Amino acid sequence: MVPAGRVVRADRAVPAGRVVRSGRPDATRRRRRPRGDLGTAICFLLPSLCGLLAFLILPLLASLLLSFSNWQIIGSPSFVGFSNYVTLFTRDPVFWEVFGNTLLYTAEYLVLNIVISVTMAVWIGSLSWGRRLFRVIFFLPVFTPLVGSALVWLLIFMPGGMLENVSAMLRVPIPNLVTNSHLAIQAVIIASLWSHFGYNLLLFSAALESIEGSYLDAAAVDGANGWQRFWRIRLPLISPALFFGTVLTAISGLQVFDQVYALTRGGPGSASSTLGYAIYTQGFVSYRLGNASAIAWVLFLIIMLLTALQLRLQRRWVHYDL
Amino acid sequence: MTKTLRLLSAMLLVAGSFLAHGAACAEQVKLTWFMWSGSTADVEAWQHVASLVTEKYPDIAVEFQTASWMDYWTKLPALAAAGQLPDIISLQSMRAPGFADLMLPLDARIKADNFDIRAFDPSIIQGLQKNGHQFALPYDFGPWVMFYNYDWFTKAGVALPRPGWTADDFVRAAKALTHDGKFGTAVPVPDAFMAFATSSGAHFLNDQGQPDLTNPGMKAAFANYVALATTEKVAPVYPSSGTISSLIANGRFTAGDIAMYVDGPWQLLNIRKKASFKVGVAPLPVRQAGSITLSAGSGFGIAITSRHPEQAWKAIQVLTGPDAERFLASAGRAFAARTAYQVYWYDTAAKDVEGAHEALSAALKNARPYVTSPNWNTVASLFEQYAPVAFAGSQPPDKLLETIQSLATQ
Repeated sequence: MVPAGRVVRADRAVPAGRVVRSGRPDATRRRRRPRGDLGTAICFLLPSLCGLLAFLILPLLASLLLSFSNWQIIGSPSFVGFSNYVTLFTRDPVFWEVFGNTLLYTAEYLVLNIVISVTMAVWIGSLSWGRRLFRVIFFLPVFTPLVGSALVWLLIFMPGGMLENVSAMLRVPIPNLVTNSHLAIQAVIIASLWSHFGYNLLLFSAALESIEGSYLDAAAVDGANGWQRFWRIRLPLISPALFFGTVLTAISGLQVFDQVYALTRGGPGSASSTLGYAIYTQGFVSYRLGNASAIAWVLFLIIMLLTALQLRLQRRWVHYDL
Repeated sequence: MTKTLRLLSAMLLVAGSFLAHGAACAEQVKLTWFMWSGSTADVEAWQHVASLVTEKYPDIAVEFQTASWMDYWTKLPALAAAGQLPDIISLQSMRAPGFADLMLPLDARIKADNFDIRAFDPSIIQGLQKNGHQFALPYDFGPWVMFYNYDWFTKAGVALPRPGWTADDFVRAAKALTHDGKFGTAVPVPDAFMAFATSSGAHFLNDQGQPDLTNPGMKAAFANYVALATTEKVAPVYPSSGTISSLIANGRFTAGDIAMYVDGPWQLLNIRKKASFKVGVAPLPVRQAGSITLSAGSGFGIAITSRHPEQAWKAIQVLTGPDAERFLASAGRAFAARTAYQVYWYDTAAKDVEGAHEALSAALKNARPYVTSPNWNTVASLFEQYAPVAFAGSQPPDKLLETIQSLATQ
């Protein structure tokens, strides 16, 4: 049995026409097998390839083309070159604020999400009973539709809402999050954390559970205290899961839309508007599909660069070899 | 012989089924109708109106599709872009400049059928035109008026708002009624504010019909409007959220948290369903330019892509016809665009509403058509998003208008 990789290499090395003319039986066998495999492989790949083409590649290309047009949904588009990008970076009065909001949201949400989920995973892992129960409880918000939970958060945060009543009862002055321009983004972060940290919690819990007890026992015998065992043993051992969680959380943070849409609609003003929400408003409120596509491509590039950076940095802190 | 018979009967069956199918197709054409709604009461009312079409034309069925007010104006262009417009489109006069291009002009049909367009109020007929062409038949229209909580006013011993009441009377009443977390009034945007600005003598469009929000008159009017929340503190601060400010105000008014607020007569259905108190209606208070309000309305037209324009034409005549108008006016969902049917709004829907007749008559006398720019959807959305910053006192009102203006016209 020739390994698949070798067959392909042999096929590449010997041009197809020559193999047929040579008439050597072993060469013919080598040619037939990959052809048969290729057909089967294409048959298996075709459905997902069609899906990928129809729902990812083509829309992606279409949005790239749109970003160079001034299409307004109603009417026909015309080519405007880089004008949408120039407007975005130089003339749009709120783009940089929205850009800053997105970075602030992602950074704060990422750090808090990872810290809370690791802490909770370690705490739940140390419990002698109810581990599963707590994991289910904290995972439940992940199932909850974001728009629904954001509306409940709105009822809590809005003037005259639950938070104001509680603060009045406790006589602790808590500023209103959704009407204050400086704090509105914090309301979105709180709602997002509540909805999403359960996913990372489950991920890190599974990673912590899979750590061999012998490592921790050996460290304990060597005199390492709990704090040292966490930093020196547990954290490095769950670093692949931590890396995976960090990348996904950062991507979902940059793409945030639902919570902003349901909770604050980017307001007050542009205080809680993010790039994801700006794409929506430019595209479907102002009907400027060209501008919306340009923002979408800026966001796409940021996500790609950040993910590439994370992949590069992971070499320093992710340990796959233990 | 048996074989031949079997074959014949099989052929007959097949032919019969084709015929039956053909007959069924000829029997009923299914039209889709897209319309906004704000409550289940709204949906029920529209579904009843849709059923009137089939009652009159059994060969036409109208399928009612709906979305919330804000989502309607998002979904409509998306449907247009996807080539999936419904047969019948609902159009609000303020959005006519931006959306009429999605609809067929009705002029030829109106002329051919000798359709009596004079039965409708002329201002709303004009409101649903673009470049002199009629794009929709109206079902309602109306001026923005002041709704007030009659019980609250009388209990507090505050004089009821009457035609001719002034801006000072309004603030005095609002102050007297504001206490214990309840407020005298609300500050929804943009429509109620545009009416406020018009009464103040300001103009929100320039000569080219584009938004002009930063002229001195508009700045002064917005400063006064914002002051109701910031300095007078007679209106609550509200967040920018998925619910439009007029619906927030409507909800707080019907819950008994706000004593008066500005809205259109089409809200009477929702107010009556939800409010547990006696409601009153008054014209807007007199400001520098008088008690001048804006009037707008909505109607139904035929999508440019409809495959059944003839049936859709028949359907919209029923949807805006006498029976529909009688029903909608009686329910309080519409101040009828057919002038002869406005009596049902007065006599049935507003029967127990204090001052409704005199308020509407006075308002209509001083109403101006709410003429807007093609990008009014953007302007309205920006007001919803940015005005709460001014109401919270985080930014001066004039700076905020400059931001909205630059974003709306970039």
